[in-house]
Amino acid sequence: MIDRFASGFAPFVIPFLIGMAFVMGYCIVGAIRLIFQLDHGDRKRFLLSLITPKTAWKNIKDIFLNCLIHVKLWKRNKLLGFMHSSIAFGWFMLILLGHIECILYMPHRVKLFYYPIFFNYFVAENETTLRGAIFFFLMDFFLLLVLTGITLAIIKRVRSRLFGMRRTTKPTLLDRVGLYSLWLIFPLRLLAESFTAHISGGSFLTIPMNMMFKAFLGEQMNMLPTWWAYSICLCVFMCVLPFTRYMHIPAEMLLIPFRNAGLTIKHARKGFAKAQVYSCPGCGVCIDACPMTVKKANIKDTTVYLNRNIRRGNEKRIEEISDKCLLCGKCTAVCQVGVDGPQMRIAQRSVRNYGLAPDYTGMDISTIKDAVAAEPSKDRVLYFSGCMTALTPAISRAMESVFHKAGVDYAFMDKDGGLCCGRPILMAGRFDQARQLIKKNREIIYASGASTLVLSCPICYKIFREQYKLEGIRVVHHTEYMLELVKAGRLTLDGAAGSLVYHDPCELGRGSGVYEPPRELLRQAGELVEATHNREMSICCGGSLGSLTLGFDKREDMTVNALKNLTEGDPATIVTACPLCKSTFAMYADRPVEDIAETVNRHSK
Amino acid sequence: MDFGFSISPSSTINLDKVDFTLYDRLCEIEPDAKKCMACGSCSATCTAGPWTGMSVRKVILGIQRGKESEAAKMLKGCMLCGKCTMVCPRGINTRHLILSLCRIYGEGEK
Amino acid sequence: MKDNIVIVGGGIAGMEAAHQLLLLGYKPILVEKSDHLGGHVADWHKLFPDMSPAKDAVKDLAEKIKEANIFLDTEVSFINRLKNGYNVMFSNGVNVICKAILLATGFDLFEASKKEEYGYGIYDQVMTNSDLEHWFNTGEDKRIKGKDIKKIGFVHCVGSRDIKAGNPQCSKVCCITAIKQAMEVKEFFPDAEVYCFYMDLRLFGKKYEDFYIKAQMESGVHFIRGRVSEVSENINGQVIVKTEDTLSGKPAKITLDLLVLMSGIVCNKQAVDTASLVQVKTDSDGFLKSKDNILNIIETDSKGVFLAGTVTGPKTVPETVAEARAAALAIHNYLVTLK
Repeated sequence: MIDRFASGFAPFVIPFLIGMAFVMGYCIVGAIRLIFQLDHGDRKRFLLSLITPKTAWKNIKDIFLNCLIHVKLWKRNKLLGFMHSSIAFGWFMLILLGHIECILYMPHRVKLFYYPIFFNYFVAENETTLRGAIFFFLMDFFLLLVLTGITLAIIKRVRSRLFGMRRTTKPTLLDRVGLYSLWLIFPLRLLAESFTAHISGGSFLTIPMNMMFKAFLGEQMNMLPTWWAYSICLCVFMCVLPFTRYMHIPAEMLLIPFRNAGLTIKHARKGFAKAQVYSCPGCGVCIDACPMTVKKANIKDTTVYLNRNIRRGNEKRIEEISDKCLLCGKCTAVCQVGVDGPQMRIAQRSVRNYGLAPDYTGMDISTIKDAVAAEPSKDRVLYFSGCMTALTPAISRAMESVFHKAGVDYAFMDKDGGLCCGRPILMAGRFDQARQLIKKNREIIYASGASTLVLSCPICYKIFREQYKLEGIRVVHHTEYMLELVKAGRLTLDGAAGSLVYHDPCELGRGSGVYEPPRELLRQAGELVEATHNREMSICCGGSLGSLTLGFDKREDMTVNALKNLTEGDPATIVTACPLCKSTFAMYADRPVEDIAETVNRHSK
Repeated sequence: MDFGFSISPSSTINLDKVDFTLYDRLCEIEPDAKKCMACGSCSATCTAGPWTGMSVRKVILGIQRGKESEAAKMLKGCMLCGKCTMVCPRGINTRHLILSLCRIYGEGEK
Repeated sequence: MKDNIVIVGGGIAGMEAAHQLLLLGYKPILVEKSDHLGGHVADWHKLFPDMSPAKDAVKDLAEKIKEANIFLDTEVSFINRLKNGYNVMFSNGVNVICKAILLATGFDLFEASKKEEYGYGIYDQVMTNSDLEHWFNTGEDKRIKGKDIKKIGFVHCVGSRDIKAGNPQCSKVCCITAIKQAMEVKEFFPDAEVYCFYMDLRLFGKKYEDFYIKAQMESGVHFIRGRVSEVSENINGQVIVKTEDTLSGKPAKITLDLLVLMSGIVCNKQAVDTASLVQVKTDSDGFLKSKDNILNIIETDSKGVFLAGTVTGPKTVPETVAEARAAALAIHNYLVTLK
């Protein structure tokens, strides 16, 4: 291989260099800003994680698997996964191989940034060597791979259903510019390399195309315009990238280390939250997942649009979208980059201005404390039924009956009314008020002398487990606790409950990761039938307290849709583990809806 | 001249003189507030009621009669648990109503 | 000869219409899905405002329609529209070609167990207005028999005026029924304290206000304005009712030995299916749709199909009887014009 130009430079590389400088500058400055926006403790934790071997290796592994191979996408839909991996991985290999080629053949040009990208223009190959042939083959192979991906991408824009996506986002104008330039980059590269193949050498793709062009154009064949086109296209793509959804390419490479360092959202618009916003690829997978989108009017209130509006600074829309969300977490479960929809929304809610701030510090809770007070004992159990269970008393009654059957020493914390656990007000973004409620409830819990706290409501369970920091007290959901009783032989199930379908409540399933204990109980109580969409994919009942603005009439369609999913296997009874799900379903269901405590109580001794 | 006593104002609500600005503003954000029939379901089920004297019915009534500071005092006790919204027979989103009031309270004075 | 008329529903509306049609010379066909005539009224004890026994009213009507063709334990399976009438198929295999159909299918009582917070079916001492009427008639109900009943409560508007229960309409008759039952139950338990928990007292009819005054003066019924939010149980099996005493503006609670839920009137589900066979739809309030709601309540948009009774909405007994008579006359006039 020989070097065709003594200077190793050609003017057409200038657009590329401009684009590259711009995008790299933007990303580096952006990354530094985001890291500085983290609060002091988080920043230290992050920087430490970068040099800890375990997290450093996890970062590399995750970036490779998610950004290049898109493993998560393959799981979702193979065609979609192939499309993304072929483009990402193919492009990555082209760049990598280009650099290797340069190092091997033109080591003195390695320091020229653009040289490996436009390698085929600058070199001439006058004899075929095995080494050269392999490289040419590989370059053509990966180029073909990328072109296949691009073709699929074009098809996806027209027929997205083939890729398992019913609905997708509307691209903005700049998104379109980015998209079309991305589409053009590789055909233009193919064109340019084909025009040059008779000089630089090529393989199965570029050589035949070269011969075809030579046949058509003969002496008029001028390769320079094609390389200019290729370079300009690259420049356009890189210059618009920071203002489009394609920012997710560099942003995800920062988000993964942030997440692996265990950071949480501390500020609504900076740091970790901002990294998530930029990592959103705008794919719209969350649109189909969101339970609200059974009504088309709600499509613009999904997480992808929240991210877009945060980037644009559209305060009105940010407020509408964050207040409406049910906080069910399904968007997070399907998100390919792991944008945390509920946490982002709660963060947005927490930065509102309020004219009134509730204050519970003056409340006198001595009556509750006195009612449950006892000496500390490791067998004592405290049962907190929660606000919603007061409206579904069958649940607390069933739990008390189960406690009696199993001979448990228990105290019913809110039998005569108690305080709210604090999670609804936390979900509304009012953290100080939640802290006050937590403080009051902790006093009562510690006064009871119990060593186990049993919750029959997953909303309460989540906050007791995550925010209360109850040292020395085990916090369990009633499904987990009843399973323990069954396993310890204190309770036996008779298996006569008939066909039951179990609905995974959002707060218990996606929210707390408890999927198996209720199922184990139900398998022993009767015949368990599974819904089509269950576990992480279960459909929110629509009654969630997470939404601040959704009215009663607007939720009916969501509940009916969720019921349709549950009743597909035609079970005799619908079983849930959440009082709010129970009340919501009971309004529209055509068959009995009961809480798992009731099922267990009726079929046990 | 100081007579040594003051005449206490009449406790009659003068419906001619009620200031509806806060109520009108509330109805813009949550128009269902106009549907309230003051049945008392919300207050009866309120978690915070026994501890803080909170009553959604009384808050709405207070705002309709121009007694905003009393309504505000009660709103400070709301725990946002959502039971009132669950039971309201007219389907009013009382939780949104309360949050909106907390937001817009004192807006006019800013 | 005289044309066939099919009356769907053997309650008092259907019976009274059949009676009038017999007097006009027709031989109507009455089809009733249960095994007795009289519908809901047959299960009741005394009817307001005269406090006459319901059983007598039903027996009276049944006597008067002895000559009609009555099919008990029978339902309407299918209805075919013909050029000038209908072909009605019953579940007992009988086929009738008739010129007019009267839908008098009545109402369903709201299922009180749907309002789980009131504890019907969960707590022992909670019953509905219909259960109480049954006890007045038979004396058999384990919630009352042999129990020491010192405090009784009546909850108004259960399943009525409640969008969460799926029925935003007022059921009209529960307030007067509650007061009637409150006074009756006080006669059985003279030492008991009786409470009525209401949102509004809708006492619109003849002598209803007198009932209210009698309940206050003679029976000493306590009226508490406030909607019951939750019911719980204490260790003795008594129910504890939580409400807000809106008139004093404070939350209130009370322990009772017996709680009676005034279940509301909702549309009979089967009636909707039968009505759809003749293209009669439901109105926005869930009951069957009349031609209009002022002058033509007993007529529908379908030719030859008439409505009478609670099938168009909650009604008292005198109103139902009046509508049934009007429907009979309207049917007669319709058949005359057909000729």
